[in-house]
Amino acid sequence: MSKKKEVVSVGRRDFFRKAGLGAGAVGAAAVGLSAEQGKAETTKPASNSAGYRETAHVKKYYELSRF
Amino acid sequence: MAIAVTQEPIAEEDNLRASWYSLLARLLAAPADESLLAVLRGLDGDDSELGAALRALKGAATTASARAIEQEYFDLFIGVGQSELVPYGSYYLTGFLHEKPLARLRDDMALLGIARSEGVPESEDHIAALCDMMAGLIIGSFGEPVELSAQRKFFDDHIGCWAPRFFENLEASPSTVFYMPVGTVGRLFMAVESQAFEMAA
Repeated sequence: MSKKKEVVSVGRRDFFRKAGLGAGAVGAAAVGLSAEQGKAETTKPASNSAGYRETAHVKKYYELSRF
Repeated sequence: MAIAVTQEPIAEEDNLRASWYSLLARLLAAPADESLLAVLRGLDGDDSELGAALRALKGAATTASARAIEQEYFDLFIGVGQSELVPYGSYYLTGFLHEKPLARLRDDMALLGIARSEGVPESEDHIAALCDMMAGLIIGSFGEPVELSAQRKFFDDHIGCWAPRFFENLEASPSTVFYMPVGTVGRLFMAVESQAFEMAA
């Protein structure tokens, strides 16, 4: 890591800590979050597909797009 | 030199940022189910403003039933006839869906090598999709992690210009119990991100 990048990174890390981003909790919780639900994927070889989810939210999209 | 020989590990704070984006994406993509509620009940915040908001969210996840949350999600984002909120960037920026902001987003996604998963019909400027994309750009789900400057550009162009207002509206929406703290968390996190991008510039 270059010197400048390192300085920026340390400053940001400190800032995020003070802002309460750390807390450890969200990081740990993310383990349970990371899977499924992805709406976006890489256009390079796709690993998994979320598949069609007929959620109410999806219906709204169609509803709105009609006008 | 465009080609990096060794990939730098993702900094701790960047992993955390990605986790927050993933959390917001998961909260807004669909009504919270039991597995997400279980995750939320295990959260713990420090004494920062964001920490307090996280505790409020934990409290809401502890008292609200999945059924009540589903109803709230419906009223907020779907509604009978008209929902309270329309969580799409184009709508916030122009008053209509599928306008120029969505076209610009699609152009940028193509450049970054991101596409919608097959079978996801909601447009890419949905708040949950954008949070998902930010998380992916940070940790490298779409190839290599992107530089901070590129993250900032994506944030400024597609998220920072409307999502803070969306989260404010969510927080202030009269019918929210569970989603009120979601709005608070989102609003505060957006502010932290904006400020951090400023710092790095």
